[in-house]
Order: sequence, then structure tokens, then C-alpha cells
Amino acid sequence: METETKLDRVTMPALGKPSKIDIIHATETNLANGIPVYSVNGGTQDVVKIELIFPAGSRQQDMPLIADTTNVLLEEGTTKHNSEEIASLLDYYGAFLETSAHHDYATVSLYSLGKHFSKVLPVLEELVKQPSFPQDEIDVYLTNKKQRFIVEEKKGRVVAARNFPALLFGNNHPYGHTTKIEEFDTVKRENLAAFHKGHYSSNACTIILAGKIKDQVFSSIGDNFGGNDWKTADAQVNGKPAELEPSAERKHYMPKEKALQSAIRLGRVLFLKNHPDAIPFQILNVILGGYFGSRLMSNIREDKGYTYGISSGVVFLKEAGYFQIASEVGSDVCDKALVEIYKEMDRLCTETIPEAELQLVKNYLRGNVLRSMDGPFALAERFKQVWLHGLDYSYYEKYISTVADITAAQLKDIACKYLQKDSICELVVGSKKA
Amino acid sequence: MIQFERFTLPNGLKVIVHRDTSTPMACVNVLYNVGARDEDPEKTGFAHLFEHLMFGGSVNIADFDNVLQQAGGENNAFTNNDITNYYLTLPATNIEVAFWLESDRMLSLAFSDKSLEVQRSVVIEEYKQSYLNQPYGDVWLELPKLAYKVHPYQWPTIGKELDHIKHAVMGDVKAFFQKFYCPNNAILVVSGNVTLDQVKALCDKWFAPIPAGNPPLRKLPVEPKQTQARKLELERDVPVDAIYKAYHMGARMDQSFYAMELLADILTDGNASRMYIELVKNKKLFSEINAFTFETFDPGLFIISGKLSEGVTLQAADEAIQEELKKVVLAQVKKDEMEKAKNKTESSLIFSEMSILNKAMNLAIFEVLGSADDVNKETDRFMKVTEVDLLVEASRVINENNCSTLYYRSKSKANGN
Repeated sequence: METETKLDRVTMPALGKPSKIDIIHATETNLANGIPVYSVNGGTQDVVKIELIFPAGSRQQDMPLIADTTNVLLEEGTTKHNSEEIASLLDYYGAFLETSAHHDYATVSLYSLGKHFSKVLPVLEELVKQPSFPQDEIDVYLTNKKQRFIVEEKKGRVVAARNFPALLFGNNHPYGHTTKIEEFDTVKRENLAAFHKGHYSSNACTIILAGKIKDQVFSSIGDNFGGNDWKTADAQVNGKPAELEPSAERKHYMPKEKALQSAIRLGRVLFLKNHPDAIPFQILNVILGGYFGSRLMSNIREDKGYTYGISSGVVFLKEAGYFQIASEVGSDVCDKALVEIYKEMDRLCTETIPEAELQLVKNYLRGNVLRSMDGPFALAERFKQVWLHGLDYSYYEKYISTVADITAAQLKDIACKYLQKDSICELVVGSKKA
Repeated sequence: MIQFERFTLPNGLKVIVHRDTSTPMACVNVLYNVGARDEDPEKTGFAHLFEHLMFGGSVNIADFDNVLQQAGGENNAFTNNDITNYYLTLPATNIEVAFWLESDRMLSLAFSDKSLEVQRSVVIEEYKQSYLNQPYGDVWLELPKLAYKVHPYQWPTIGKELDHIKHAVMGDVKAFFQKFYCPNNAILVVSGNVTLDQVKALCDKWFAPIPAGNPPLRKLPVEPKQTQARKLELERDVPVDAIYKAYHMGARMDQSFYAMELLADILTDGNASRMYIELVKNKKLFSEINAFTFETFDPGLFIISGKLSEGVTLQAADEAIQEELKKVVLAQVKKDEMEKAKNKTESSLIFSEMSILNKAMNLAIFEVLGSADDVNKETDRFMKVTEVDLLVEASRVINENNCSTLYYRSKSKANGN
């Protein structure tokens, strides 16, 4: 055994040869009715996840809350079974349902053990094709959702998150609309049923499968979803085009009495995911606030102790992209924290990123790519995140090569282009005097 | 089924290795057998504050995160009432970096004044963010205090009060490290694309030279049996009234735990659960209701929490919960209810074994609870619970004299009345 005196604990052990990143691609097949099925087969556990994706997001709705409510209510009753019976059928086989509505699309997913997949799939079929939207279920859901909405409104970070997109996109833009409490009273059963009919149909559906996929899984999916019984004449795939109406004011303040912390949001509208600057900007974002060692964390948490956490992120939607910084800071140090945040953005425009920091971020991101592609569910998600934007796997190859090749000078140019103070919108929700 | 091998170093460090070649990653999990329950009642929140300081530089390495990120890794940690757990994932080809980092901070910290000063502020902001500056946040400061009179579960991990954190000094930090952060008070689990021989060699090199310490024998006061109903009313600036009921139950590895977990599931998990159907959908008394256990190592709490619907009084809500609970005590749960709860649990356990991180954490937790072998007995332990077992256990736990009830009143509503 080596003794403590011989062991060099000061020098970092040599890094291993970077493992080659094998991106396992989803394979495409089609059901008899044309629905594309993308599947990622693998993993150690006998589990299957099936995700049905529809163009049924808030961008496709004509009235507020319709996309979301339709999506949730799918599991609250069908022409054959009520809410409790549906849950019982799935519970019995230990299967889990997950519904979610986003801006550009909505999904219905089922997680099941492989051995029970063919038994629970008919339940998924039923709630996707024949939801009945019972009025009493709608009432209970909306009443309780409204109450949760009010409770959430007490949280500064929630108020900030709800109001910030309106400043970037405008309140009439589907990405910018801030839900108001009275909108819960406008949701009508017939709107939900109509929205379902127009958007949850075979000719607008895409399926992503992940897990241990046996042949029998495909035949079950064909049986339950491959027919022409759920086609709509006019599947409404695209939402209405919308004009950006960003706020003319740069700085916004929403007072919240006696708040111990103030919630901060700063950001701006960017470009689409296929823009040539999209990957370089994401790398820049990581340096600024996208990982634990980021400049914002190092300065505002680890040096000053103003916050428990601060981060920045880039969001790509189908018709727009945006960048934002979010944090909750002590109300007494809110102004100081803002000064430091702007200083960090400015430094990226005026100073060249030191080589050691850039190399660290490159290594970190390479590890992150590996992590983000670990296992069939993660790989399916990677496929979805390019497919949604009309991109393919070459995006990830480009990402990996950009991470390897990008220079500090290029990142400085990107910072100058997109992080100028006068282009950044600011929202503070909280108390100015603590 | 999680296959694993284990060995113990001469200094007492227990090591567990789980090989999974389906991933290019590796996970290193270090569990220290110290949590908030081990704290001095006058210096609470210390285990958690200390967890923050473990990232403030070790004796030979100035910046833990910086090095790990260079190796493509990512990490985090958590402290609860029972343990402090550190975990990281990185490309398996860089596994030695993880050994270098974790062994150095087990050897000794840098004990930097700046780090202590900053992390005190960070934890104070965390305290505000999680407990003080959000609606219903202080429930988890108040409810444990009501339920436990003697056992240290009476304070939350973050600490009894902000002052305990504000007053932490370097002497306390060093003493805490000396006392608890030694190889014979830790469990190291390595999972992912690694081999046993590789882990053995790395352990010999990096961890074996660390001297053993003298972790104290844990002698915690036993919470006396509660014999009278306890009640507390709070009035706060929240939009709706809420109710919390906490019943004393068994410890994590007791048969009681498995029965009460299944009961929680039967009562409130999903659209087919009893309380959801009866109290949310039919009677519309609650907008949401949840039953759960705290999963604590020592005897814990079975909690029912609910937010009240408009116009419902706290008393009516309380009575409705008790009425539902009475049904569980008066008659066995139905066979199909039990079967569903068990099948869901079995399925969740199978899904949880998809990630090397989850597997590593579970191995470490079961090892500290007694034996890592138990990780593979969980499903059986749930399956073995019968309807009669559940009835017996529920009858023991569900009793108002064994319960602490918190009425959390909305100030605006109270004023409006």
C-alpha cells in the first residue's frame, strides 16, 4: 500500500481519454394509418414509456386555458369509464400516466412494466380517443386549480415567472400571455370537446417509444392506435401567427409587501434553435449562469452570499427563443445583486474569457452531453428536443463540435451581440425596503 | 435486483460497488452517518450548514466544483434528520478524479473563514426561501415541534432558528468535522461502468491512508408515547386555510413503515384513492389532500395535509379526515385496494433502478440502516403486508391521542369573518 507521504494529493489525477459519444438514434416506423413511431430500445429494466405528441398547446388554442384543461381532463372520464375507474385500471398494473401541455404541443405519456404494456395500452387509447369531459369533473378541476393559482400567486418567484414572458413577448402573444384569475371562469365544456376533436387526432399524432421494446409492443400500438377511426378532416396543426409586442419599458417593479426576498428576472427574446448563434449562445449562457460554477453563482452566491441560488437559461420554443436569469435574493441586497448581475453580463462583452475557464466549461459540457444521453428515456428526450424544432441528430454533432472548437474571441462577439444592457428587460417582484 | 459487492478498508470505511455497463458514466456516493438528529439542541442546523462547507475547499484542493467540472462531472448533496449524503456523476473514464476529491475532503477541510461567512449567508437565504418567504413554509418548523417533545426530530434540518446559523463559529465547524467526518462513520458506494478491482485499487490508494476517527455512539432520547391530542392554531398571510395532522408511527425498517406507506397510497395517491374521491371529488371539502410518511430512520410521523375548499371550516375538515381514517380502523382495506397499492409500489421500485445514481444512494441508505442487502428485499417487504397487518398497524397509529393537529388559518379570511 502506498503511504500518505508518497501520495500526491495536490495534483489532479490525469483525465481519461474522452469517451467517444455514441448517439443512439431513434428508429422510425409507421403505423398503418401513417402515424410515425420513433423508438429507442435499450436499458436494463423491463419498462416501456410511450409518449403521444399532439399539436395541442397553448399556441393552438383560441381561448385561455383551453389547451391545458383539455390535456388534464383526458384522464377524468371517457365514454366507457369514469375518472376513478381509469385510475384503478392503471393502478392495478402499476402503470403511471403523465399529461402535459406546453406552448407548442401537448403530450400524453404512459409508463408501464413491459409485461403489462399490452394490458394498459387500451386505457391510453380510450382516454386519447374518447374523453367525455364530464361537467362535474371540469368544475372540480377548475375550482381547485383556481385555488392553487391563488396560493401560488403568494410566491414572489411565481409572480415573476408568470409576468415576465408578457414583458418579453407582449400579453397578446401566445408565449407571453399571463393567466388571470377570471379566465378560469371562461372555460366551457364545448370548447374542450372541440379542441380535443381538432387536435388529438391520428393525422396530427406522433409517437415516441422508449425502454425495452419487444415486437409485441409494436403490435399492441398498431392495434390500439393504427386505425383510421380517430382521424380528423382538418387537423389544426399550426397556431395563428402572432406579433411580438415587447414592453417598451426596460425596468419593471412589482411591489410585494414585507417580502424577505425579492424575485428577480432578467432576459430578452432571442432566435430559434436552428439559428447559427444558437449553440454558441448556449455555451455562453453556461458560463454566465448555466452551471454550479457559473459566474453568477460564483459571484452572487459563493462570493457575496446574496442568494441560495441564481441561474440563467435559454428556452427554445417553436416560433421564438429567449434567454433569462432567475433568482431570489435578500430584499436588503436586491439592488446590489442587480448591479453585480449586470456587471457579469458586461464583463463577458468587454473581457476575454480566460482559457482555463473555457476549457473547464468545455469539459463540463462534454460530460453533460454524455449524462443527457444516458439510458433510453433520456435518449428519447434528446430525439424529441430536435424533432420538435424540425432538426435532426446533426444538431448534436454540431453541438459537440462547437463545444470542442469554440474560442474565447467568438464567445465575446456573441456576448456583445446579445447581452448589451439596453437590450435586457428586468423584473423585480418584492420589497425594496426590507 | 441490484447486484453489488462490498469490502471494508482497515480504517473502517465501508465500500459498495455496483457495476452497470449499460452506461458510460459512473457515480460516487459518500454517505456520512450524521444528520440533524445528532446536533446540539443549542446549535441546530449545523449538519446542513456543514454540508455547504464541504464545498468550500479541502486541505489540498481549493475548489471542489471547479475540479469536478473539469472532469465533466456534476454533483450535489443533501442533509436530512438522519444522514448527510454527497453524490456525483462523471464519465467513468475520469473516476479517479472523484476519488481524489472525495478522499481529500474526508481527510481534512481547508476551514476557510470566508467560506464559513458566505455559506452562513447562503443558508440564511435558503431558510428564507424555503421556510419564511413562501406560503405555509413555516409548517415544517412548527409541526415537528408539536409532535416531538424529546427526540431531536423536533427541529428541522435547516435549524430551529436563524440565530443558530448566524452564530456558528469556526471552532464549532472543526469540532463537528473531527467528530463525524471520518472513514469509519462513512459509506462509499461506486456505481456505473467500473470494476470491483478498479474500485479496490482506487480505495487503497486514496481512502486507505485516511486515519480512522472516533465517531460517538448515538444515544438519542426516545420519544415517550403521546397520550393526549395536541393542537396548535396559527394565523398567517395565506389565501386559504390548511390542516396538518401528524400521527406517531414506526421507524424506517419496522413493519409499521411498510403498512403505513401502503395506507398513505390507498388514502390519497391518485384519482382512485379514498380521500381524493370522498373528500375532494364527492364532498368537495378539500382542494387537495395528501397522506405521506417522513421515512425517518427513528420512529416517524404519518402525515395528512390538506388545503380547504372555499367556505369549509377547519373543524369540519378535521372531522371529515377523522371519519375517513375511522373507516380504515373499523374494517380491513379491500383486497383490490391493497393489490393496487402494492403493484404501484413494485413498479416504482423497478423504475427507480433505471439510474446509477438512485441505485448508489439506495445502497448507501440501506447499508447505514443495517445492510445493503435490504435494498433487494424492499419489494418483498411491501408484498408481505396483509390487510390484517394494515388494520392492526392503522389501529395503533390512528388515534387522536397519538396525533398533533395544526390548524393553519388564513389571516385575510379570519379578518373577513
